[in-house]
Amino acid sequence: MATADDSRYYSEHDDRVGGPKHRNRKGRGPFRAPLYSDQISRPRHRGGHGGGGGGPGPRSRLQDDDGDVTMVEGPQDSGAQRRFNPYGRPQNRRENRKGGRGGGGGGGNDDRGGNRYGVRGGGAGGGSDGSRKNWFKMTIPFGKKYDKDWLLSSLQSVCSMPFHAVHYHTDGNKAQFYVEDSTTANALFKVSRKITDKDGYKVTVIMNSCPPPALIHTDLKAADLEHLKQCMAKRFDGSQQALDLNNIRVDPDLVSQNIEVTLNRRNSMLAVIKIIEENIPELICLNLSNNRLYRLDDLADIVNKVPNLKILNLSHNELKTERELDKLKGLKLVELSLEGNPLSGHYKNQADYVSAVRERFPKLLKLDGHVLPPPIGFDLEVAPATLPPCKASYFCSEEIKNIILCFLQQYYSIYDSGDRQPLLDAYHDGAAFSLSIPFTLQNASKSSLGEYQKDCRNIRRMKDDPTTRFRLIKHTRLNVVAFLNELPKTQHDIASLIVDVNTYTATLLAFTVSGVFKENGKSRDSFRAFSRVFIAVPAGNAGLCIVNDELFVRNATTEEIRRAFVAPAPTPSSSPVPTLSAPQQEMLAAFSLMSGMNLEWSQKCLQDNDWDFDRAAQIFTGLKAQGKIPDVAFVK
Amino acid sequence: MASTVDFRTLVDQSCRYSDEFVNIYYDCIDKRRRNLTRLYLDKATLVWNGNAVTGRDALSEFFESLPSKQATQGQTTLLVVTAGSVKFDGNKQRYFNQNFLLTAQASPNSDQPVWKIASDCFRFQDWAN
Repeated sequence: MATADDSRYYSEHDDRVGGPKHRNRKGRGPFRAPLYSDQISRPRHRGGHGGGGGGPGPRSRLQDDDGDVTMVEGPQDSGAQRRFNPYGRPQNRRENRKGGRGGGGGGGNDDRGGNRYGVRGGGAGGGSDGSRKNWFKMTIPFGKKYDKDWLLSSLQSVCSMPFHAVHYHTDGNKAQFYVEDSTTANALFKVSRKITDKDGYKVTVIMNSCPPPALIHTDLKAADLEHLKQCMAKRFDGSQQALDLNNIRVDPDLVSQNIEVTLNRRNSMLAVIKIIEENIPELICLNLSNNRLYRLDDLADIVNKVPNLKILNLSHNELKTERELDKLKGLKLVELSLEGNPLSGHYKNQADYVSAVRERFPKLLKLDGHVLPPPIGFDLEVAPATLPPCKASYFCSEEIKNIILCFLQQYYSIYDSGDRQPLLDAYHDGAAFSLSIPFTLQNASKSSLGEYQKDCRNIRRMKDDPTTRFRLIKHTRLNVVAFLNELPKTQHDIASLIVDVNTYTATLLAFTVSGVFKENGKSRDSFRAFSRVFIAVPAGNAGLCIVNDELFVRNATTEEIRRAFVAPAPTPSSSPVPTLSAPQQEMLAAFSLMSGMNLEWSQKCLQDNDWDFDRAAQIFTGLKAQGKIPDVAFVK
Repeated sequence: MASTVDFRTLVDQSCRYSDEFVNIYYDCIDKRRRNLTRLYLDKATLVWNGNAVTGRDALSEFFESLPSKQATQGQTTLLVVTAGSVKFDGNKQRYFNQNFLLTAQASPNSDQPVWKIASDCFRFQDWAN
């Protein structure tokens, strides 16, 4: 079987199955990547492969499984080496990659994929019981961008031999798959740069021989999953909500059923997480020690799926850097164990180690079994657990309330009247106005707020367009009112208005009005909600003159629509209510709002005062101060 | 009344300041809330869903409601209106409307005047729910 030497990786061929010395590392230390020269000197891609993959630089080779030599001198139970190859060389390779060359685009796909835990011992549970297939990994640099079907069929169309792409996947920018024999691989290699993609680039094909992806990591079968679940159930302590998956792969229940659960493989980890999620999602404590974990990417989902997890044991694994912990950020861990991982050796002192870990898990109280000194920090997140209750209008004082309500009642009766021209009197000569709509609707091609869209002035989206930014401000009262007149006809629900007084000084009154209005549309009425800021200066007697007016319009929610324009309940009193004109209705609503009296009484007051709002207000205030208004007037 | 040219300049300046302010304010409120009060005048008023909060101390506690007048005599004032969504810890995400009146004040820490929030009005769009 010395043949196309590509098989040299298999133990039959290689009597150094015991360990790392497999490769000629020239004793350069565990974490050094092999030198390019090493690669070349190796008779790897001989046997008529034309140097296998010509073009690729050192990188691509190094990325390959074969590329990596470095092995962690870790606890490799050589006894198990044969049987459980997964732990034979695997992760080390990966680490190496990281350490040595910045990953070169991450040849790391192997982790997921498949073949790396290639059966070395040639006898391992895996598939390749020494069958002499030569496997090759075909790499298409930048292949990620291609549609898989297009790529494979294009390759097949020019390839002299039919091929079956095994375990097609992408890794970084590359697309990769395996083929089963050297002739096929060669044939594929020959079509490199024969196909041009739609962007004009030639599709390159690189081949590297590799161990067989015998243990192609298909997901565990349903029956196996069931066994796994039961195995996990035995390891679960309900009273502590704790699950012990220490060295799970050697669990007799699994071994006896020939079920491979190796947690440093993605699908094993995912299967385990799924079982946890479906059965014991309130898990608090999880032990993953002794599972040869070299990365935590596959464990990341646990942050969302097992949110109560507080105690995690990752000791005696192969985690090389604390950056792995970033993948678990969000877990509110209180206890963590990391001892026995390579990363522990990185820190010069305990304090640095602790703080690096705490950066990811600020609430940690115990690390590696040691209670930690309480964290020192600035806890800025003192967000109140409950928000203060929301209240209605804030008027600052009765006086202001009257001023504003009076103003609004007049303003909106003109605004809703169909001709807004008279509003000129409400605005200062130099007044300015602009409007905006919700961000999400600003892009919509057919926005339901279409009429407002073109005038929406969201300066965040106009940073580079000062002209538009300027144009959309309506400046001087003539322009303001002219613009307002172009807006759709409206009908405001005065009773629904909420007013917040921002600022009140002798010279300035700024307040925010929010509420709901109806647009009388052609086909149907639309209900809008709005928030409008008025800045005004005093004018006349207890009048206001608007200096700034900014309007924000959005669609009303169903809740808002339901509450708006609620007709006043018929009063039990017998006197028939004469029909009121629209301005009268508005005045009534405003008066009711201002006085707090129900509509019946408000109307009475207004009628008695000839619908003179101010006079009625004065009378009301006077009577109220004298205590002459019965409580029933305020019962709504 | 300011001529159009001046007005245009004012508009441009306002936009620049507003943009900067909005970035600072929301970043601060999210990440460095303790520093937030420094953005306010000593006697600024916050109206929060109808709850009025005034004065730095009250502001920093966020709960008191003692309205008081503040003095903004004819200073350069800028109105910033914002709308968006916010998620307070432990609560669901909600839309809000907010507006600020900023005034320029002399600052002890720098030669240039600084913007201070004179008033802040915040309301959830669904406050009534």
